[in-house]
Amino acid sequence: MAEETVMKKTPSTAKPAEEKSVNKEKESLPAISASPHIRKGPTTTGIMADVLIALVPAAAMGIYNFGYRAALMILICITGCMVFEYLSGLLLRRPGNTVRDLSAAVTGMLLALNLPVDLPYWMALLGCLFGIVVVKQLFGGIGQNFMNPALAARCFLVMSFVGPMTHFTYDAVTTATPLYVLRTQGVGNIDLWSMFIGKEAGTIGETSAAALLLGALYLLFRGVIRLTIPASYIGTFSLLILIYGLTEKMNAEELFRYTVAHVTSGGLILGACYMATDYTTSPITGKGRIVYGILLGLLTFFFRIFGSNTEGVSYAIIIGNLLVPMIEMVTKPKAFGHGYEKKSLSENRGFLPPLVTDEEGKPVADRSEKKNSPLRILISICLIALLAGGLLGAVYALTKAPIEETANRKKQESYRAVMSEATDYIETDDLEKENAMLEKEGFAGVTLEIRALAMKEDEPVGNIWVVTTHEGYAGDIRMAVGIRDGRVTGVEMLSIGETAGLGLEARDNPDFTAQYVDKNADYFTVTKNSPQEEDQIQAITGATITSGAVTNAVNAALAADRFLQSDSFVQEGGSEDE
Amino acid sequence: MGRFSFRGGVHPDDGKRLTESKEIQEYISRGEMVYPLSQHIGAPARPLVKRGDRVLAGQLIAEAGGFVSANIHASVSGTVKAIEKRLTSGGGMEDSIVVENDGTFEAVDYSEEIRPLEELSREDVIRIIRDAGVVGMGGAGFPTDVKLSPKNREEIDCIIVNGAECEPYLTSDYRRMMEEPEKLAAGLCIVLGLFPGARGIIAIEDNKPAAICRLKELTKDEPRITVNRMKTKYPQGAERQLIYANTGRYVNSYMLPADAGCIVHNVDTIMSIYEAVAERKPLTTRVVTVTGDCIANPGNFLVRLGTSYRELVEAAGGFTRKPAKLISGGPMMGRALISLDVPVVKGTSAILALSHDDVADKEPSACIKCGKCVSVCPGRVMPNLLADLAEAHDEEGFLANEGMECCECGCCSYVCPARRHLTQTIAGTRKQVLAKRKRG
Repeated sequence: MAEETVMKKTPSTAKPAEEKSVNKEKESLPAISASPHIRKGPTTTGIMADVLIALVPAAAMGIYNFGYRAALMILICITGCMVFEYLSGLLLRRPGNTVRDLSAAVTGMLLALNLPVDLPYWMALLGCLFGIVVVKQLFGGIGQNFMNPALAARCFLVMSFVGPMTHFTYDAVTTATPLYVLRTQGVGNIDLWSMFIGKEAGTIGETSAAALLLGALYLLFRGVIRLTIPASYIGTFSLLILIYGLTEKMNAEELFRYTVAHVTSGGLILGACYMATDYTTSPITGKGRIVYGILLGLLTFFFRIFGSNTEGVSYAIIIGNLLVPMIEMVTKPKAFGHGYEKKSLSENRGFLPPLVTDEEGKPVADRSEKKNSPLRILISICLIALLAGGLLGAVYALTKAPIEETANRKKQESYRAVMSEATDYIETDDLEKENAMLEKEGFAGVTLEIRALAMKEDEPVGNIWVVTTHEGYAGDIRMAVGIRDGRVTGVEMLSIGETAGLGLEARDNPDFTAQYVDKNADYFTVTKNSPQEEDQIQAITGATITSGAVTNAVNAALAADRFLQSDSFVQEGGSEDE
Repeated sequence: MGRFSFRGGVHPDDGKRLTESKEIQEYISRGEMVYPLSQHIGAPARPLVKRGDRVLAGQLIAEAGGFVSANIHASVSGTVKAIEKRLTSGGGMEDSIVVENDGTFEAVDYSEEIRPLEELSREDVIRIIRDAGVVGMGGAGFPTDVKLSPKNREEIDCIIVNGAECEPYLTSDYRRMMEEPEKLAAGLCIVLGLFPGARGIIAIEDNKPAAICRLKELTKDEPRITVNRMKTKYPQGAERQLIYANTGRYVNSYMLPADAGCIVHNVDTIMSIYEAVAERKPLTTRVVTVTGDCIANPGNFLVRLGTSYRELVEAAGGFTRKPAKLISGGPMMGRALISLDVPVVKGTSAILALSHDDVADKEPSACIKCGKCVSVCPGRVMPNLLADLAEAHDEEGFLANEGMECCECGCCSYVCPARRHLTQTIAGTRKQVLAKRKRG
């Protein structure tokens, strides 16, 4: 039958108008390609640009901390890497121009951030050459390098020029890195805050943890990196450091400071967020990334604590890089439904419950649907609340002791500062009467908190009053006032939140508080001019409110002290003093 | 929580807002109709008419050419003009019956054959479905009667209606669920009648809440049917992923859904089953979404099979600007068209005209091993590795790394920063392997 009807070419009966449009279309056919026909997400260039953007804060902090030479170093490294990338591409006859994908610029930037600021430029350029040509291009270019080119270059430079590569300066003064200080002098000499913002010796880009974390947040937000590697890396490392600290018998505060110092110092954050996450040299599988992070944490810990060098991040990552193919091999994902063809249906039942039937074998309603019952929601909310509460409690419990200890030590220090001759202090906070008196006398804005009886060789020498005034410009000011025989022996700020440069001068400028000391005055007044009388206090320029508040608090303490001496209700020490 | 899903996948911009509120309108075909003899998987149909014959709408014009094959019916009345090779949406020249539409739509009346469902045996129902030429209308075109006759019939305990419609831009299933939900429920009941021990699941992505509500309301008194709210994610509607999400069961490339006790049908297929069994209407129409940013009035059309794409685009107001890319189907798995002069077939779900071609934007560059393809792959294979092996013609390595588990959904190519043609490369090698298996 088919043969009878076989195909003769019939003349086209299409209308002329249609024909025309067909011809028109043939002039420029629409594009043909295999599916999918849409693409999304950043390109390689976009990703590299994002990494560069993320490194801008760290670079800026580097330039701010180390000066123009840092800027020049960054510029030279980026240019150097891009030029070497271009030239080697030409020489090796690589198709396409890979300079444009910005990967060489990222290498240059990372290398510069990993160099000390005083390194001679030619050495930096040699590093660029090694990283780009030897490590990257000779092994096949982008995506083929077996090590992170920037780190490989850094390690190459450290091996070749140990001196210049480990010579760190800050403010043009040769300084030990925080890691060196940690190892040689312990945790006591570390200022965590300056480490966080990067006012420390180190390579150009590694010192400011804050800037690096800001950039890392950007990368996370843009989806360029995932939390897996940084979290497992830093997590493992912190855990090991904590354990190590415990074996060294550190107390809670030292432990905390030691761990934070280790995490924020050296190249850990730079390494964990920017170089361990390098796509090409980190595992491609999800599980592999966790294994890799843990491995890096272990290696870094051992290098830092037991190695001859204080820094271990770069070597840890480089060695990790070499193990990536192996990690990938053992963490290869199992394909969807792998092996199920050999399993019977009963082993592949999933979660679908069998049909429920009544006595007659007729199906009855059962809604197998996943439902969020109110009870389930309630339980999950409770669980989340419990978990959050538990975490909060744990953090509080962990930090409570160190915080209290610090506060206590600060107080003791201030006692010594305001009454240096005393050796012991007996504190009391039963000051109801004195506070009631102050209110009557018009010192409503001042609260007495503690009276410490200063003792010297079991003899009372005076009183120290811890007072809080609520009249500060930016909230409460807490201070210690020492009084002996009705005269002020010293004033020391315990906590003050006034404006830096203005009100904060009350704490930072010893000349201000010195005005109260050893004056024959019951009541100080504030003046804006230079003081003529003994009981006049010159206000801090631009901070009359602060000056007034502090002065009023001192007056309150004087009044309370007089009240104590005159009152019949006197404590043993006070009466003896009379 | 509470939503059915799987691991991996992507979230493309769905583009459904263009047509999701457009009611289905019937399009009256005017020009010549082309019926390719291969609108399904398996042997081509054998023509039953010859040049010059007059045919009626609904008349059988080609019969199934084997067990895995399907009947083809005329969708208009007119004269057979030729039986010749014609261009199809797949890009190849296929033997086709060409009918000159006389515009009267004189139809064969099958209404006398309608019998109540109770009187039909299982074999009757399957025969009726086969006679009506019903095939899987999601695109694969597997004959439905074959799917409904698995070897392990007693083990089938789950019939899933695929209402996920996860492909961007497509809204034909959604509109049918909104406008004719009764047909869907009744069609599912017919299928459930064939499998007394099975439950029915209607799986719908949660970006179609109205359809979920409507079908839940409609099936609330039918204890065997549940409506599942699926997480909106591509490829939620891929058969294996759909089965996993709804039942927790795994199906791999060596298995059929029936091996996991499941049978999956597309919304349109279930509707066609209903029309075949309850109304005795052979499969001669389907709903096609005509959309894209180049189409003047995007919409959903009830179209007679065999209608030219060009006619349909004109029915949607034509182009407002020159399309950079024409696609038959969705943007993730559809096929690019070289010409609009191809007929609507049983598996045509959409005509998409895009003003911008993402693929042409950037040449593929070297893999940077970012791992994005690995993390989005619903088949949990390593697309970057498979593509490397495919490029090296290493079939052994390709198989060892489970290359056959790829479902060609396109997620890897979609996210690749180096813009490598991963899916295309892998699909090429899969085809070679499949062809070899067939021969061997």
